[in-house]
Amino acid sequence: MDDDDLTPAERAEIDRIRATLVDPVVWAEPGEDLQERVVAAIAAEAGARQPTPGPRRRWVRYAAGGLAAAVLLAIGLTVGIRANQDHPVEFAAAMSGTALAPGASGDVTLTKTPSGWRIKLHATGLPRRTDGEFYEAWLKNDAGVLVPIGTFNDGNDVTLWSGVGPAGFGTLTITREAADGNQASSGEVVLLGKPHLS
Amino acid sequence: MGVAGRRWASVTTVALDDAELASRFASGDADTVRVVYQKYGRLVFSVAMKVLGDPGLAEDATQQTFVQAWRAAASYDPTRPLGAWLTTIARRVAIDTYRRERRHRDLDDIDTSTGSALITLPPSAEQIHDVAEVRRALDELSAPDRDLIRMQHFDELTHAEIAAELQVPLGTVKSRTFRAHRRLAGLLAHLRAEPDDDVQEGGSHGRR
Repeated sequence: MDDDDLTPAERAEIDRIRATLVDPVVWAEPGEDLQERVVAAIAAEAGARQPTPGPRRRWVRYAAGGLAAAVLLAIGLTVGIRANQDHPVEFAAAMSGTALAPGASGDVTLTKTPSGWRIKLHATGLPRRTDGEFYEAWLKNDAGVLVPIGTFNDGNDVTLWSGVGPAGFGTLTITREAADGNQASSGEVVLLGKPHLS
Repeated sequence: MGVAGRRWASVTTVALDDAELASRFASGDADTVRVVYQKYGRLVFSVAMKVLGDPGLAEDATQQTFVQAWRAAASYDPTRPLGAWLTTIARRVAIDTYRRERRHRDLDDIDTSTGSALITLPPSAEQIHDVAEVRRALDELSAPDRDLIRMQHFDELTHAEIAAELQVPLGTVKSRTFRAHRRLAGLLAHLRAEPDDDVQEGGSHGRR
Protein backbone atom coordinates (compact mmCIF):
# COMPACT_ATOMS: atom_id res chain seq x y z
CA MET A 1 0.00 0.00 0.00
CA ASP A 2 1.23 3.48 -0.81
CA ASP A 3 -0.20 6.97 -1.34
CA ASP A 4 -1.82 5.85 -4.59
CA ASP A 5 -4.19 3.83 -2.43
CA LEU A 6 -5.55 6.86 -0.58
CA THR A 7 -9.18 7.56 -1.28
CA PRO A 8 -9.96 10.71 -3.30
CA ALA A 9 -11.28 12.36 -0.14
CA GLU A 10 -8.14 11.51 1.79
CA ARG A 11 -5.94 12.75 -1.03
CA ALA A 12 -7.94 15.96 -1.23
CA GLU A 13 -7.50 16.52 2.50
CA ILE A 14 -3.74 16.03 2.29
CA ASP A 15 -3.57 18.32 -0.75
CA ARG A 16 -5.57 20.93 1.13
CA ILE A 17 -3.15 21.06 4.04
CA ARG A 18 0.01 20.73 1.96
CA ALA A 19 0.71 24.45 2.15
CA THR A 20 0.29 24.41 5.91
CA LEU A 21 2.62 21.42 6.28
CA VAL A 22 5.48 23.40 4.78
CA ASP A 23 4.91 26.30 7.17
CA PRO A 24 7.80 26.27 9.69
CA VAL A 25 5.36 27.50 12.34
CA VAL A 26 3.61 24.14 12.35
CA TRP A 27 6.86 22.42 13.27
CA ALA A 28 8.16 25.03 15.70
CA GLU A 29 8.87 23.78 19.21
CA PRO A 30 8.86 25.96 22.34
CA GLY A 31 11.88 26.08 24.63
CA GLU A 32 12.26 23.27 27.10
CA ASP A 33 11.91 25.59 30.08
CA LEU A 34 8.54 26.95 29.00
CA GLN A 35 6.58 24.24 30.81
CA GLU A 36 8.06 25.20 34.17
CA ARG A 37 7.59 28.89 33.39
CA VAL A 38 3.88 28.19 32.85
CA VAL A 39 3.67 26.21 36.08
CA ALA A 40 5.45 28.97 38.01
CA ALA A 41 3.26 31.71 36.50
CA ILE A 42 0.07 29.93 37.46
CA ALA A 43 1.42 29.17 40.92
CA ALA A 44 2.22 32.87 41.33
CA GLU A 45 -1.29 33.82 40.21
CA ALA A 46 -2.80 31.32 42.60
CA GLY A 47 -0.70 32.73 45.42
CA ALA A 48 -1.72 36.28 44.57
CA ARG A 49 -5.35 35.35 44.99
CA GLN A 50 -4.87 34.94 48.73
CA PRO A 51 -6.51 37.97 50.43
CA THR A 52 -4.26 40.28 52.45
CA PRO A 53 -5.52 42.40 55.40
CA GLY A 54 -5.45 46.20 55.19
CA PRO A 55 -3.30 48.31 57.52
CA ARG A 56 -6.09 49.63 59.74
CA ARG A 57 -7.05 47.71 62.89
CA ARG A 58 -4.86 44.91 61.77
CA TRP A 59 -4.52 43.54 65.36
CA VAL A 60 -8.30 43.24 65.60
CA ARG A 61 -8.36 41.32 62.40
CA TYR A 62 -5.53 39.11 63.58
CA ALA A 63 -7.33 38.38 66.87
CA ALA A 64 -10.63 37.66 65.15
CA GLY A 65 -8.86 35.74 62.48
CA GLY A 66 -7.00 33.67 65.05
CA LEU A 67 -10.20 32.81 66.87
CA ALA A 68 -11.97 31.98 63.65
CA ALA A 69 -9.02 29.99 62.49
CA ALA A 70 -9.03 27.95 65.68
CA VAL A 71 -12.70 27.15 65.22
CA LEU A 72 -12.38 26.47 61.54
CA LEU A 73 -9.17 24.55 61.74
CA ALA A 74 -10.77 21.34 62.88
CA ILE A 75 -13.60 21.69 60.38
CA GLY A 76 -11.24 22.76 57.64
CA LEU A 77 -8.85 19.94 58.23
CA THR A 78 -11.62 17.40 58.18
CA VAL A 79 -13.42 18.83 55.17
CA GLY A 80 -10.24 19.72 53.35
CA ILE A 81 -8.70 16.34 53.79
CA ARG A 82 -11.92 14.68 52.81
CA ALA A 83 -12.27 16.90 49.73
CA ASN A 84 -8.69 16.19 48.83
CA GLN A 85 -9.34 12.53 49.22
CA ASP A 86 -12.42 12.82 47.02
CA HIS A 87 -10.46 14.40 44.15
CA PRO A 88 -6.80 13.61 44.58
CA VAL A 89 -4.47 14.09 41.68
CA GLU A 90 -4.01 10.56 40.47
CA PHE A 91 -2.12 8.93 37.63
CA ALA A 92 -2.40 5.32 36.53
CA ALA A 93 -0.74 2.95 34.12
CA ALA A 94 -0.90 -0.60 32.94
CA MET A 95 2.49 -2.25 33.42
CA SER A 96 3.82 -4.51 30.69
CA GLY A 97 6.40 -7.24 31.05
CA THR A 98 9.56 -6.86 29.00
CA ALA A 99 11.54 -9.55 27.19
CA LEU A 100 13.15 -10.38 30.55
CA ALA A 101 9.72 -11.14 32.05
CA PRO A 102 7.28 -11.70 29.20
CA GLY A 103 4.70 -13.29 31.50
CA ALA A 104 4.63 -10.35 33.89
CA SER A 105 2.01 -7.62 33.94
CA GLY A 106 0.43 -5.28 36.42
CA ASP A 107 -1.09 -1.94 37.13
CA VAL A 108 0.00 1.04 39.10
CA THR A 109 -1.67 4.11 40.56
CA LEU A 110 0.17 7.22 41.69
CA THR A 111 -1.62 9.52 44.11
CA LYS A 112 -0.38 12.93 45.09
CA THR A 113 -0.32 13.48 48.85
CA PRO A 114 1.13 16.28 50.98
CA SER A 115 4.18 14.16 51.71
CA GLY A 116 4.84 13.00 48.15
CA TRP A 117 3.51 10.55 45.60
CA ARG A 118 2.06 7.33 46.98
CA ILE A 119 2.46 4.58 44.41
CA LYS A 120 0.47 1.37 44.58
CA LEU A 121 1.73 -1.44 42.41
CA HIS A 122 0.03 -4.75 41.74
CA ALA A 123 2.16 -7.02 39.59
CA THR A 124 1.75 -10.65 38.63
CA GLY A 125 4.08 -13.04 36.92
CA LEU A 126 7.17 -11.88 38.77
CA PRO A 127 8.90 -14.54 40.87
CA ARG A 128 9.60 -13.55 44.45
CA ARG A 129 13.20 -12.41 44.92
CA THR A 130 15.00 -12.98 48.25
CA ASP A 131 18.45 -13.66 49.67
CA GLY A 132 19.94 -10.36 48.70
CA GLU A 133 18.01 -10.09 45.47
CA PHE A 134 15.04 -7.82 45.06
CA TYR A 135 13.12 -5.57 42.70
CA GLU A 136 13.57 -1.84 42.50
CA ALA A 137 11.11 0.73 41.13
CA TRP A 138 12.21 3.85 39.28
CA LEU A 139 10.68 6.94 37.71
CA LYS A 140 12.47 8.18 34.63
CA ASN A 141 12.21 11.48 32.76
CA ASP A 142 12.69 12.17 29.06
CA ALA A 143 16.36 12.96 29.61
CA GLY A 144 16.88 9.49 31.07
CA VAL A 145 17.32 10.65 34.67
CA LEU A 146 16.31 7.84 37.04
CA VAL A 147 14.85 8.43 40.49
CA PRO A 148 14.69 5.33 42.73
CA ILE A 149 11.34 5.03 44.47
CA GLY A 150 11.69 1.86 46.50
CA THR A 151 12.60 -1.80 46.64
CA PHE A 152 10.52 -4.91 47.29
CA ASN A 153 10.59 -8.70 47.14
CA ASP A 154 7.13 -9.56 45.87
CA GLY A 155 5.21 -7.42 43.40
CA ASN A 156 1.72 -8.49 44.36
CA ASP A 157 0.81 -5.62 46.69
CA VAL A 158 3.46 -2.94 46.89
CA THR A 159 3.35 0.61 48.20
CA LEU A 160 6.13 2.91 47.10
CA TRP A 161 6.78 6.61 47.69
CA SER A 162 8.31 9.18 45.40
CA GLY A 163 9.41 12.76 45.79
CA VAL A 164 9.05 13.39 42.06
CA GLY A 165 5.83 13.20 40.08
CA PRO A 166 4.82 11.37 36.92
CA ALA A 167 4.19 14.58 34.99
CA GLY A 168 7.90 15.30 34.95
CA PHE A 169 9.10 11.71 35.23
CA GLY A 170 6.78 9.95 32.85
CA THR A 171 8.06 6.38 32.79
CA LEU A 172 7.86 3.90 35.63
CA THR A 173 10.13 0.87 35.46
CA ILE A 174 10.83 -2.12 37.69
CA THR A 175 14.30 -3.66 37.57
CA ARG A 176 15.94 -6.73 39.03
CA GLU A 177 18.61 -5.77 41.52
CA ALA A 178 21.06 -7.37 43.96
CA ALA A 179 22.47 -6.04 47.23
CA ASP A 180 25.94 -5.79 45.76
CA GLY A 181 26.79 -2.28 46.84
CA ASN A 182 26.04 -0.83 43.45
CA GLN A 183 23.29 1.77 43.83
CA ALA A 184 22.82 2.30 40.10
CA SER A 185 20.13 0.56 38.13
CA SER A 186 21.09 -2.85 36.80
CA GLY A 187 19.25 -1.98 33.63
CA GLU A 188 17.40 -5.29 33.83
CA VAL A 189 13.92 -3.88 33.35
CA VAL A 190 11.16 -6.43 33.90
CA LEU A 191 8.09 -4.17 33.99
CA LEU A 192 7.42 -0.86 32.32
CA GLY A 193 4.53 1.61 32.17
CA LYS A 194 3.77 5.22 31.31
CA PRO A 195 1.39 6.74 33.87
CA HIS A 196 -1.28 9.12 32.66
CA LEU A 197 -3.74 11.32 34.51
CA SER A 198 -6.73 9.25 35.53
CA MET B 1 -11.59 27.02 0.67
CA GLY B 2 -9.11 26.58 3.51
CA VAL B 3 -9.59 24.51 6.56
CA ALA B 4 -11.05 27.47 8.39
CA GLY B 5 -13.72 27.69 5.74
CA ARG B 6 -15.25 24.90 7.66
CA ARG B 7 -15.87 24.47 11.32
CA TRP B 8 -13.72 25.73 14.14
CA ALA B 9 -15.01 23.73 17.07
CA SER B 10 -17.10 21.24 15.29
CA VAL B 11 -16.17 18.17 17.27
CA THR B 12 -19.23 17.61 19.36
CA THR B 13 -17.97 14.50 21.06
CA VAL B 14 -15.42 15.47 23.62
CA ALA B 15 -13.31 13.01 25.49
CA LEU B 16 -14.39 12.92 29.09
CA ASP B 17 -10.86 13.52 30.25
CA ASP B 18 -10.90 16.97 28.60
CA ALA B 19 -13.60 18.13 30.99
CA GLU B 20 -11.95 16.44 33.91
CA LEU B 21 -8.57 17.80 32.93
CA ALA B 22 -9.99 21.32 32.78
CA SER B 23 -11.62 20.85 36.16
CA ARG B 24 -8.35 19.79 37.70
CA PHE B 25 -6.47 22.47 35.80
CA ALA B 26 -8.67 25.04 37.56
CA SER B 27 -7.18 23.95 40.87
CA GLY B 28 -3.80 25.18 39.66
CA ASP B 29 -2.18 21.93 40.77
CA ALA B 30 1.30 22.00 39.27
CA ASP B 31 1.26 18.43 38.01
CA THR B 32 -2.09 18.90 36.28
CA VAL B 33 -0.81 22.12 34.71
CA ARG B 34 2.15 20.12 33.40
CA VAL B 35 -0.17 17.49 31.92
CA VAL B 36 -2.29 20.14 30.18
CA TYR B 37 0.84 21.87 28.92
CA GLN B 38 2.33 18.63 27.62
CA LYS B 39 -0.89 17.88 25.78
CA TYR B 40 -1.58 21.32 24.35
CA GLY B 41 1.58 23.43 24.80
CA ARG B 42 2.87 22.87 21.27
CA LEU B 43 -0.54 23.66 19.81
CA VAL B 44 -0.76 26.93 21.73
CA PHE B 45 2.82 27.78 20.82
CA SER B 46 2.17 27.15 17.12
CA VAL B 47 -0.79 29.51 17.15
CA ALA B 48 1.27 32.17 18.91
CA MET B 49 4.14 31.66 16.47
CA LYS B 50 1.82 32.02 13.49
CA VAL B 51 0.63 35.40 14.75
CA LEU B 52 3.89 36.74 16.17
CA GLY B 53 6.62 35.06 14.14
CA ASP B 54 9.07 35.44 17.00
CA PRO B 55 9.91 32.53 19.31
CA GLY B 56 10.47 34.71 22.37
CA LEU B 57 7.21 36.59 21.98
CA ALA B 58 5.43 33.34 21.16
CA GLU B 59 6.68 31.75 24.36
CA ASP B 60 5.52 34.75 26.38
CA ALA B 61 2.13 34.55 24.68
CA THR B 62 1.96 30.82 25.36
CA GLN B 63 2.64 31.41 29.04
CA GLN B 64 0.05 34.16 29.15
CA THR B 65 -2.46 31.90 27.39
CA PHE B 66 -2.20 29.24 30.08
CA VAL B 67 -2.45 31.84 32.84
CA GLN B 68 -5.56 33.33 31.26
CA ALA B 69 -7.01 29.88 30.76
CA TRP B 70 -6.42 29.13 34.41
CA ARG B 71 -8.14 32.38 35.42
CA ALA B 72 -11.10 31.55 33.18
CA ALA B 73 -11.20 27.82 33.90
CA ALA B 74 -14.52 28.15 35.72
CA SER B 75 -16.11 29.36 32.48
CA TYR B 76 -14.81 26.48 30.37
CA ASP B 77 -17.61 24.75 28.53
CA PRO B 78 -16.94 21.03 29.01
CA THR B 79 -18.81 20.18 25.79
CA ARG B 80 -16.08 21.95 23.86
CA PRO B 81 -12.68 20.40 23.19
CA LEU B 82 -10.10 21.78 25.57
CA GLY B 83 -7.62 22.26 22.72
CA ALA B 84 -10.06 24.44 20.77
CA TRP B 85 -10.75 26.53 23.87
CA LEU B 86 -7.04 27.04 24.49
CA THR B 87 -6.50 27.87 20.81
CA THR B 88 -9.12 30.60 21.00
CA ILE B 89 -7.42 32.11 24.03
CA ALA B 90 -4.00 31.75 22.40
CA ARG B 91 -5.10 33.60 19.29
CA ARG B 92 -6.60 36.44 21.33
CA VAL B 93 -3.49 36.74 23.51
CA ALA B 94 -1.17 36.58 20.50
CA ILE B 95 -3.09 39.23 18.58
CA ASP B 96 -3.09 41.50 21.64
CA THR B 97 0.67 40.98 21.90
CA TYR B 98 1.06 41.64 18.20
CA ARG B 99 -0.80 44.95 18.45
CA ARG B 100 1.16 46.02 21.51
CA GLU B 101 4.46 45.17 19.87
CA ARG B 102 3.49 46.96 16.69
CA ARG B 103 2.57 50.09 18.66
CA HIS B 104 5.95 50.04 20.38
CA ARG B 105 7.76 49.52 17.12
CA ASP B 106 5.87 52.36 15.47
CA LEU B 107 6.81 54.68 18.32
CA ASP B 108 10.43 53.60 18.07
CA ASP B 109 10.42 54.35 14.37
CA ILE B 110 8.98 57.83 15.01
CA ASP B 111 11.51 58.54 17.75
CA THR B 112 14.47 57.58 15.62
CA SER B 113 13.13 59.13 12.43
CA THR B 114 13.95 56.00 10.52
CA GLY B 115 11.04 56.49 8.19
CA SER B 116 7.64 54.92 8.06
CA ALA B 117 6.98 51.93 10.22
CA LEU B 118 6.91 48.58 8.53
CA ILE B 119 3.31 47.84 7.84
CA THR B 120 2.44 44.21 8.30
CA LEU B 121 -0.80 42.51 9.02
CA PRO B 122 -1.34 39.59 11.35
CA PRO B 123 -2.33 36.35 9.64
CA SER B 124 -6.00 35.91 8.98
CA ALA B 125 -8.25 33.92 11.26
CA GLU B 126 -8.34 31.28 8.55
CA GLN B 127 -4.57 30.98 8.41
CA ILE B 128 -4.32 30.73 12.19
CA HIS B 129 -7.04 28.14 12.18
CA ASP B 130 -5.29 26.08 9.53
CA VAL B 131 -2.13 25.98 11.60
CA ALA B 132 -4.03 25.08 14.77
CA GLU B 133 -5.97 22.26 13.13
CA VAL B 134 -2.94 20.77 11.41
CA ARG B 135 -0.80 21.08 14.52
CA ARG B 136 -3.52 19.42 16.58
CA ALA B 137 -3.76 16.56 14.10
CA LEU B 138 0.02 16.15 13.97
CA ASP B 139 0.13 15.95 17.75
CA GLU B 140 -2.28 13.02 17.55
CA LEU B 141 0.11 11.05 15.33
CA SER B 142 2.81 8.82 16.75
CA ALA B 143 6.24 10.43 16.81
CA PRO B 144 7.58 8.22 13.97
CA ASP B 145 4.59 9.05 11.77
CA ARG B 146 4.95 12.75 12.56
CA ASP B 147 8.64 12.59 11.65
CA LEU B 148 7.76 10.90 8.39
CA ILE B 149 5.26 13.63 7.48
CA ARG B 150 7.80 16.27 8.39
CA MET B 151 10.52 14.68 6.26
CA GLN B 152 8.27 14.37 3.24
CA HIS B 153 6.50 17.73 3.35
CA PHE B 154 8.67 20.15 5.32
CA ASP B 155 12.12 18.75 4.52
CA GLU B 156 10.91 17.87 1.01
CA LEU B 157 12.67 14.51 0.97
CA THR B 158 11.70 11.86 -1.54
CA HIS B 159 10.66 8.42 -0.40
CA ALA B 160 14.06 7.13 -1.44
CA GLU B 161 15.83 9.83 0.57
CA ILE B 162 13.67 9.09 3.60
CA ALA B 163 14.45 5.38 3.24
CA ALA B 164 18.15 6.18 3.19
CA GLU B 165 17.80 8.53 6.16
CA LEU B 166 15.87 6.01 8.24
CA GLN B 167 17.80 3.03 6.86
CA VAL B 168 14.63 1.12 6.04
CA PRO B 169 13.45 -0.37 2.73
CA LEU B 170 11.75 1.94 0.24
CA GLY B 171 8.59 -0.15 0.40
CA THR B 172 8.43 0.33 4.15
CA VAL B 173 8.63 4.10 3.76
CA LYS B 174 5.85 4.05 1.16
CA SER B 175 3.53 1.94 3.28
CA ARG B 176 4.26 3.93 6.43
CA THR B 177 3.71 7.20 4.58
CA PHE B 178 0.42 5.89 3.27
CA ARG B 179 -0.72 4.97 6.77
CA ALA B 180 0.43 8.31 8.21
CA HIS B 181 -1.39 10.24 5.48
CA ARG B 182 -4.52 8.18 5.95
CA ARG B 183 -4.44 8.81 9.70
CA LEU B 184 -3.79 12.51 9.21
CA ALA B 185 -6.63 12.82 6.72
CA GLY B 186 -8.88 10.95 9.15
CA LEU B 187 -7.98 13.30 11.98
CA LEU B 188 -8.99 16.26 9.82
CA ALA B 189 -12.03 14.59 8.28
CA HIS B 190 -14.41 16.27 10.71
CA LEU B 191 -13.63 19.53 8.97
CA ARG B 192 -15.04 18.37 5.66
CA ALA B 193 -18.42 19.43 4.37
CA GLU B 194 -19.35 21.58 7.29
CA PRO B 195 -21.36 24.76 7.00
CA ASP B 196 -19.44 27.94 6.35
CA ASP B 197 -21.30 29.91 8.97
CA ASP B 198 -19.46 27.98 11.62
CA VAL B 199 -16.32 29.89 10.79
CA GLN B 200 -18.00 32.77 12.57
CA GLU B 201 -17.10 31.18 15.82
CA GLY B 202 -13.46 31.10 14.86
CA GLY B 203 -13.52 34.43 13.08
CA SER B 204 -15.19 36.31 15.86
CA HIS B 205 -12.61 35.54 18.52
CA GLY B 206 -9.70 37.90 18.65
CA ARG B 207 -11.59 40.59 16.83
CA ARG B 208 -12.82 42.63 19.68
